[in-house]
This record gives sequence, structure tokens and C-alpha cells, in this order.
Amino acid sequence: MTWLQRRVRPEQIRELSLLVLIAIAIAFFGSFIDGYYSFRTFNRIASSVAIITVVAVGQTLVVLTRNIDLSVGSIVGFTAYFVGTLIANDNGINPLLAVAIAIAMGAGLGVVNGVIVAWGRVPAVVVTLGTLAIYRGVLVDLSGAKTVTTDSLPDWLTGLPLVNVAPIGNLDIRPLFVLAVVIVVIFQFATTYLSFARRFYAIGSNPEAAQLVGLPMRGVVFLAFVICGALAGLAGFMFLVRFGNITVEAGRGLELSVVAAVVVGGVNIFGGSGTVAGAMFGAVLIGTLEQSLFRLGISEFWLDAVLGLLILLAVASDAVILQRLRALWGGAELKLVAKEADSVSGERRAPRP
Amino acid sequence: MTGAEDSADGATAVAPVLEIRRVAKRFDATQALDDVSLSLHAGEIHALLGENGAGKSTLIKIITGVHQPDRGQIMLAARSVTIRSAADAQRLGIAAIYQEPLLFPDLNVAENIFISHQDRGAVVSWAQMFHEAESILAELGVALDVRSPARGLTLAAQQSVEIAKAISLNVRILIMDEPTASLSAHEVQELFKLVRDLKRQGVAILFVSHRMEEVFEIADKVTVFRDGRLISTRARLEATPQGAIADMVGREIDLTKTRATAARTDLVLSVSALGRQGVFEGVTFDLHRGEVLGFAGLIGAGRTDVGLALFGIEPATSGTILLNDKPVAIRSPRDGMKLGIAYVSEDRRQLGLVLPMSIFANVTLPVLRRYLNRFGLVRTSLERGTADAFRARLAIRAPSVDLEVAKLSGGNQQKVMLSKWLNTDPSILILDEPTRGVDVGSKAEVHAIIAQLATEGIGIIVISSDLPEVLALSDRVLVMREGRQMAILDRAEANQETVMTAAMGQRPANSLDGSAP
Repeated sequence: MTWLQRRVRPEQIRELSLLVLIAIAIAFFGSFIDGYYSFRTFNRIASSVAIITVVAVGQTLVVLTRNIDLSVGSIVGFTAYFVGTLIANDNGINPLLAVAIAIAMGAGLGVVNGVIVAWGRVPAVVVTLGTLAIYRGVLVDLSGAKTVTTDSLPDWLTGLPLVNVAPIGNLDIRPLFVLAVVIVVIFQFATTYLSFARRFYAIGSNPEAAQLVGLPMRGVVFLAFVICGALAGLAGFMFLVRFGNITVEAGRGLELSVVAAVVVGGVNIFGGSGTVAGAMFGAVLIGTLEQSLFRLGISEFWLDAVLGLLILLAVASDAVILQRLRALWGGAELKLVAKEADSVSGERRAPRP
Repeated sequence: MTGAEDSADGATAVAPVLEIRRVAKRFDATQALDDVSLSLHAGEIHALLGENGAGKSTLIKIITGVHQPDRGQIMLAARSVTIRSAADAQRLGIAAIYQEPLLFPDLNVAENIFISHQDRGAVVSWAQMFHEAESILAELGVALDVRSPARGLTLAAQQSVEIAKAISLNVRILIMDEPTASLSAHEVQELFKLVRDLKRQGVAILFVSHRMEEVFEIADKVTVFRDGRLISTRARLEATPQGAIADMVGREIDLTKTRATAARTDLVLSVSALGRQGVFEGVTFDLHRGEVLGFAGLIGAGRTDVGLALFGIEPATSGTILLNDKPVAIRSPRDGMKLGIAYVSEDRRQLGLVLPMSIFANVTLPVLRRYLNRFGLVRTSLERGTADAFRARLAIRAPSVDLEVAKLSGGNQQKVMLSKWLNTDPSILILDEPTRGVDVGSKAEVHAIIAQLATEGIGIIVISSDLPEVLALSDRVLVMREGRQMAILDRAEANQETVMTAAMGQRPANSLDGSAP
């Protein structure tokens, strides 16, 4: 094993290759679109990426446990609409309270998913496909198909997307972008250093072993869905901030972008490996493609096809490229070293695998 | 119960670490455990023997908190305890290591060792964890990169990680459930060194194995189970393998009895300088009708790879294969099957059988074409007929061939595998670890079947890590080491020493390399 192989794992190479892909994508679009390299483009892409990222962080936790949450798009629409209605009816509401309500609402919807998956033993794909439709249906029914409009919202909310948090030269740094970065940093840290968060990895990596060492499987899966719901709720608020006008269609199809971001970001769809930071890079690539293809005037149906293709490519490359890399790296070698107490002669090395 | 429990081991003055008192457990119609009492002392290696379904696994699951006993008590250091979960067992200082180590492939070695520690604080200190993992492994005399993921570790390395895990938890009772089933003879010896070390440190060890010679090498006490009851507990010095086997099956079986050998007649297969780039090379041997050629060597020596090459799963890249004196190219399993070669995989679950399917569907799968009617539909009555014939011929214990294969015991699954490949009418049969994880009774039956097939004129290659098995079955033994053929030993010169010497890399002085005389 070379020095490089010891330092860098195949999984990290995969994440780094994503940066190269993002650079290629930007260079590609830059050569086709006039004025692509501008702060306006950056901000437009950044606010789109921010929303996908926040939801993708939650989705990452769920996917790590060998599950999936397809209802995130509906949760985003649900919270965006109802929190929007709430604020429209009471413009004096405390902004932080509004955010807290959005998060709690999302978490509540996540609880439903989590309970059915963890304790009902129903596959997550089925459960969340069901709740995707149910949450959207409830939204359409309760809203009476009305729309939240920008002019019914208070100024602090409609002005929020344009606030400049930390001006770096001519570059404006927007609140949504900052919020997404903060979320990524918090969860990247948590999933690396908090022992309870390491359980997301353990359970997805080998459920049978997790059972045998006594990890609380159901609790962990439940928690993943609740956090995913809560972050989708937060993203719902961000959605409201970004668009102002919220119809019952809000966030529809977002699950496709989010799952694409997570999978392209190197989170193994079969659980156990991947990082929050990787999912963020995935979101950056997906967001860049979405916004740029949109500017090229390509229809959104083709956009969906591109996302679908990316998911397939990412999963296929996981199966092929990562396996090759792992084979190249090989497993750690076992060596039996003579202890001082022993004086054993003969072959001491274990056979090569 | 037959109370041979208080055997003279000199440790009766000290309270046992673990005492099972009159424990019983029933699953539906099966009395899995019936009034079992057993005690385990510190620094003692206590072997459990018994056929599959004898109750060993149920006992282990009760001790590790997977099942709750219907009746009876579990005493830990003279205190009655209730073990409700794996976490409970762990808190009480009980750990278990299984045949297939259960590690987290995506987590690194250090994290695998410490994953079940509840007391290490909310924040992981990676530097400290790596350091502690390294020192535990060093204590074991094992050097392993603690930062690398568990994915891709050899089975022996995985066992070491499991043992390190147990040590890190300060276990007082270590249960080892067939830990050697997938290890080569050399690795078994390394494992035993670790086990003896733990014993010296006062850990009580419950050791389950189907390999008699291992049990008699390492155990202090030997307990035999049959049909959910404890039949006998004896100090090792007072026990004999024959006696233990008799207790296990209720009759005497001799597994070391060598097969009557046949005269070498027609050559069916002649292989010369066979190799696969980077895996093995220079394999040269002849196989005759009715001959059993054993493949011995350590795990990873390339024996299975030769088998895979001969059947075409991972084709050879150099050398020649003559089948009935005609050169052949085997590039896929389809080629292998067409040429009358059958390969019975060592991995029954993944490569061999479709577990949720019925016995008959499994048996006819490779040659399903033969069972089609003129509309191209499968005639299940024909399939059942074939499967029924094999059920009778190989004594597969199942009420009907419609039964799912998943519901059969290991020995019977092995027989279904054999049926499936015999149904292709092979002239060459390659058996890879034919009795791994199979109980003694079925093992003797599988051996008898192999002998029978040889007399029917099939040329048979037996790849096995169970050396006594290879010696008992084979007319000649081909020994491999690190992808090279070391020797071909005739029955007269093949014994434990000569085979192991060759497998460890020293060429026996009087070996005959290459083809038969």
C-alpha cells in the first residue's frame, strides 16, 4: 500500500471527482451562456442549491440507514404553504417563531414516516411514496387551492433573499446560502464526531451486526426520518422566502433533485457510506445543471430526464468504479507479530487474501 | 438430566462465572432445550458438541439475550440475572463471536472494535480511538491498519477484530460459535493462540465446533447435546472423539475411515501448466475415472481458483486442459457444463442455491431445458420425479420436494446442491468445501455419497480445508501454496504432516511432483 493509498480512501476520490465534474459543468455552460460568469448567476444558482442542500442533508441520514424518503418534496410544499398562510394572516409574527413552526411541522410529518418505517416494518419506498401523495393531497384539500402571494407577506420576509450578509468585494452572500452552509457544517461535524450519529452508518452498513451489538435500530431509523422531516420543514420556509408566491404545487418533484444530489454526492443508496459534504457537492452539481439548463432554454421535462440519467450513472459508477478502486486498494493486511512472551518459529504471516 | 456435571476439574471451590440451571425453551412443536444445566468457570474452555438442531444455538441465544428461557435460571457469579437483549448481555460481560464475523464493512477497524461501547462519551475522539485500538490489537499480537475499513479484510483478520472487540469490552464470558469453520488449518492455530491467551487472562470460553480434532485440542471440558438435551459433560482427558460422536448421534461413526480406493483406469482430465494471471500458475495433474483427487492448502492458496477455472467461472489464462484426450477451452460455466463438468460451490447461500425456491426447482435449474413440454412450458411433474429420485438416493430429509430450500438444515442443503449438479450428468465433479457447516451425521453421509459417486466412475476433485476429510476421501492429494502447486501426494505418502509441510512451503523430501506415476 502506498502512502497515498493510506491517506486517501476510494470514497474520498469519488467525492473529489465530483469537484472536477462541477468545474467541467461550469466551464461548459460558461462557454454557451453569455454573461454566465456573473454574481447574478452565482446568486441564482446558490439559492437553488441552498434549498436542495438542506433537504439533501436530511435525506443523507435516511439513505445511510438503508432507507429513502420520497415525501420530502411534499413536506417542503406543505410547510411552505401553511407557514406562508400563517405569516400572511399575522404579519407581526416573530420570524424565529415562524421558522420554528416550519421545522416542527416538518418534523411532525417526519414522525409519521419514521413510525411506520421503524415500527410498522413497511419498506421506506412504499411508506414515503404513500405519504408523498397523502401530504400533497391534504395540502390541496385544506388550502382550497388558494395561493400565498408575495404582497400578503411582510417586508422582512420578501426582502430577506436580497439581504447581503457578508459582502466579499462585489459578491453578495445571501442568507439562504449561509443557512445551508451552516447546516452542512453542523451535520458534517455531527456525523463524524458524535457517537450516536455514527450509528446511522453502522445500521446501514450491516443491520444484522448492529442488532447483535445491541444498537437501538428502530430508534435510529426513526430519528433519521424525523431529522429529515425537520430539515425539509426548514427548507419549506426557505422556499417561502425565495419565491414568496406559494401554490399547492410548491416543491413538487423536489425529491428527484434531492435523491439525485445525495446519490451523485456519493452516498451509497444501499446505506452505510457517504458524507453530508458529499451530498452538498451533489446538490451543487444538480443545482448548477438545473439553473444552467433552464437558462439555455431547455424544457424542464428534459431536465428531469437529465436528473434521472445522473442518478443511474451515479449508482452504476458506484457499482463499477468504486469496486475497482477498492480492489486496487485491497483490504488491510493482517500480520501476526510475535509477542515477546511467545517464541514461535516458522511462518508467521497470514496468507494473502 | 444425566448429571455428569460436577466433573473433577479442581475448580469446584470457586463459584462458576456462569451457571445455567434447568433451562428449557420451546418453539412451537419443538422442545429446543429440555432441562439443561451447565456451569462455566473462569479460565476454562468449554466445548459444546452436537448435531445441528441439538440445542447448542438455542443455548447460545439464551445466554446472549436473543431468546428468553421458558423455565430455569441463569446465574452470573452466583447472582440470578435476566438477559433481555444483546445490549444486556454485553453489559454483563458476555460477548459472542460467530462463524461469519459480523463487522460493519463501511466502518474502519477501530470503530468496529469500539462501536458497542456506550461509555465513551458523546463525542468521538478519533486519535484516541485509533491509539487504543492499536494497543488492543498489539496485545493480541496482531498488526492491522486500524484506519482501514473492515471491507475486504480476510476472515482471519475479521476474527481478530471480533476478538479485539470482545477484549475491549472486558468480557468475562466469550462464546465462540464455530469460529474456525471458514479458517484454514494455519489460521486456526493462530486463533487458538489468541483463545489460550484469553483463557490465561481468566476469560471463560464456550466453544462450539463441528471439528472434533479442534475440540479435543483446545477444550478443557466437552459437553454433548442431542435433541435439546444435555447428554454428557466430561473433562477432556476422560473423553474420546469416538465417545463424543456416539453421544451426539446415538451411534458410532468413524469419520477418519479411509475410502476404499479404486484402480486408476481411464484418464478423464489432464491439466498441464494451468494458470490465471496473478492468481495461480503451473497447476499440472491428471484425473482418472472413479478417482478422488483432494486439493489441500491454506485458505487463499488458490485451490478454489483452480476449481473456478476448470468450470469456467474465472477462466484460466494459460496452460492446457485435455478432456478425454481432446484439448478444450473452458471460458464460461456454460462451456464447463457442456463438457460434463460440475462445480459445487463452497458458498451454498450465495452461489449455490436459490433459498426461497423449492427443492425440485433448485435441482432442475441448470438443465431446465430438459423439462419443457412442446409448448416450451416447464413440466413440474417431471421435475418432481427427478427431485424425488435424488431425495431417495441421497437421503435428503424433507417431507416433500416442494419444501423451500431455506427450511432445510445445512447438511440437507448440501445434498440438494449435490443433486442439482449430479442431475447434469457430469463426468467430472468439483466439490468445494462439501461439508463446511454440516453436522457430523450428515458429514458421514456426504462422504459416503462421494465414495459412491467415485465407484460409479465420476472423476471427483474435493477441495477442503478439513485435512482429515481430504485424507479420508482422496486417492491422491494435490497441495497448493500461494497460487502454486507444491506436491501431489499418493495415498501412501499423504498424511497430516506431509500435507502441512507442503502447504507451509517446505517441499517434502520424497514427494512426487507432477502427474501420477
